[in-house]
Amino acid sequence: MNATRSMLICDDEEELAHELGEYFASLGWHVALAITAEEAIAQLRGGLAPQVLITDLRIGAVDGRQVVAEARALPPALCPALVIIITGHVMHNVTAADLDSDFLYVKPVDPTEVLDDIGSFLAGVAPPPA
Amino acid sequence: MILARNSRSPGLLKLGLVVASIALFLATALVYVLQTRQQAFLTATIRSSGWVAYQAQLEFVKTQAEFAKLAIVPSTLGMDKLMLRLELLRSRLPLLYDSDEGRVLSDIVDTRGPTQIFETRLDQIIDEVGKLDPEDGGTARELKRLSQELDPLGEALQTILMQSVAYNQEIFQRERALAQRPGALPLVMLFVSGACLAAVLILQARRDRMRLNDVREAQAALAAMEENLRAVIQAVPACVVVADPDTDKVNFINPSAAALVSPSLDDPAWPRFVRAVRAAAGEPDTRRWGALSMGYARSPGDIISLRGSVGAVLWERRPQQLIVVVDTSQVRNAELQVMQAAKLATLGEMATAIAHELNQPLAVIKMAVANARRLLDPLPGGEPVAAKLERISAQVDRAKRITDQVRRYGRMPTEQLLPFSLRHAVELAAGFVAEQFRAANIVLSVEAGVPAELLVFGEQTMFEQVIVNVLINARDAFETQELRETQELRETQELRETQELRGSQESREARDNRLAPATGDAPPFAAAGTARREVQVSIRQVEERAVIAVQDNAGGVPEDILERMFEPFATTKSTEKGTGLGLSLARSVVRDMNGTIVAENVGAGARFTITVPASLINASRDAA
Repeated sequence: MNATRSMLICDDEEELAHELGEYFASLGWHVALAITAEEAIAQLRGGLAPQVLITDLRIGAVDGRQVVAEARALPPALCPALVIIITGHVMHNVTAADLDSDFLYVKPVDPTEVLDDIGSFLAGVAPPPA
Repeated sequence: MILARNSRSPGLLKLGLVVASIALFLATALVYVLQTRQQAFLTATIRSSGWVAYQAQLEFVKTQAEFAKLAIVPSTLGMDKLMLRLELLRSRLPLLYDSDEGRVLSDIVDTRGPTQIFETRLDQIIDEVGKLDPEDGGTARELKRLSQELDPLGEALQTILMQSVAYNQEIFQRERALAQRPGALPLVMLFVSGACLAAVLILQARRDRMRLNDVREAQAALAAMEENLRAVIQAVPACVVVADPDTDKVNFINPSAAALVSPSLDDPAWPRFVRAVRAAAGEPDTRRWGALSMGYARSPGDIISLRGSVGAVLWERRPQQLIVVVDTSQVRNAELQVMQAAKLATLGEMATAIAHELNQPLAVIKMAVANARRLLDPLPGGEPVAAKLERISAQVDRAKRITDQVRRYGRMPTEQLLPFSLRHAVELAAGFVAEQFRAANIVLSVEAGVPAELLVFGEQTMFEQVIVNVLINARDAFETQELRETQELRETQELRETQELRGSQESREARDNRLAPATGDAPPFAAAGTARREVQVSIRQVEERAVIAVQDNAGGVPEDILERMFEPFATTKSTEKGTGLGLSLARSVVRDMNGTIVAENVGAGARFTITVPASLINASRDAA
């Protein structure tokens, strides 16, 4: 495994957040969980600075898109390198870029697929220190 | 007929008036002539009366002269002469009042009064004269006395004569005046008045004729209007029936009504219909549309919905009942269909929501399976559990496929139909499945007989999905066929392997020229089982429509399935493969595009034909 990587998972579906968190934690990731968008935004502003942000779109009063916007607005030091959206909604002709994210998955998604994508993305964008 | 009678009776009246006026005219002329004649006769009579007075006077003078002669020389001869004169005078007197002439005269002057009293005296004088002796010396004196005694008679006669003369003179003057003023004048006046009367009659007749013409024109206009109204009644799509309210007998029907119940007015179905309408209407006169709403059994099992009104009407001068109804069965059916569609839409929305909600636990299961597998990995002897986890994961994938299809199926159709290039969309769809087809050893060829500019209207992604679904269906058909034939073809295993080898070679060729029409040595559609697997997609334009045909040689579809092929969950596939919604979704999408999709067995396989409206205009907006 490479150097420790960190991740913030935001999903109001608690079990899903836990399973996904457990999966990545077992692979040596630092995983922070947030059940609401407000919580996620608070953690981001509090200087969590995760490398990867995974969020659902419909998570209560505040939308997942707002979480993404908040994350993107953070200073570079705190800004996540990779933003992933996992949504339960099928949207026609909507791509990851439309939602200002790097990957867009529709539930249910295999976590190994997510892991592969993260791996290849981070390898390209932010090569880990040797 | 009444019109003719009306026109003849004034003619008779007019003729009668003319005849009467001519008769009156002639009568008037006749009366005039008669009167003129009578007047002439009267004038003659009056003149005669003058003559009577004159003669009486003359006789008196002669008598007096005889008296005078005798008074000088009395003689017997003279006495006799006097006697004669006296008797003549006596006879003249009654004539003054007791003859035609005398009666006329007595109208002018009183002739009886002054003369009658002398008649007796004259008789006495005649007697006295008869007794006188001419030889007697006193005779002369006596005669003188008698003569004097008659003097008043002379005066009276003188008066009568003078008055008679005066009257005659008056008449004479009037006659002369009449002669001077032409006597034809009144006759002319009569003629003029007659002519006036005739003119008035002619004018009146003329005016009557003109009025009659007006009435005739109005009646013609009325008849034309009635004809038009009748044409309207004949043409209206509503059923118009006129029935007798007492006998239920139908007196008039329009073609719609004839088509509804019976073209014959004597059909016993008509009284039955009228009674049914009356029973349904409740009130006998409800003009309000919709007051009548009923079901009518045209024949056993054929019940239709009718809606309309019933009202009193004066039809051919008799009070009748007017029934106007419209067959609303189709509207009813449409309403039911709309309700059904609304229900389905609600169900669709619910299904979409349910599918979405199901995806959440499916996601959790998927994650949990991944975690369980990871936890199981380091443990020895975990393979059977790992197999179960694999199955769980596969079932989650299957459930996901179902929810995906349900969400697509339940999606509301877009209101707006956007143009896109048909050929482009079909090629994209073919490209999407190309890998799967290669893996399944199926040769996919697209024969685009239309330009890329040919546009169809809808949502391109959904349409691509339709083509994909139909292609996937074909691919799965080959696998079903393969399963079916595995047993039968066990003995020809070797041959099959050879074929598959050749198929994979072609597959490699196809990779280089993916969408090129299939060419090859093998006949394209040989008998199933012995031929290579092939799916041909062809696009043609037929007038204003585009026809996309997808033909396989996978052995076709069983007839019983063919009928309900596009119904949801009608599938021949194994549960691992099909959701049973793919073709149903395809039909839904094609229908949204105002098109049709049909399936049939052709040759060695099935053919799906999609027909959608297409156009070459707006080519500049060709979908990218």
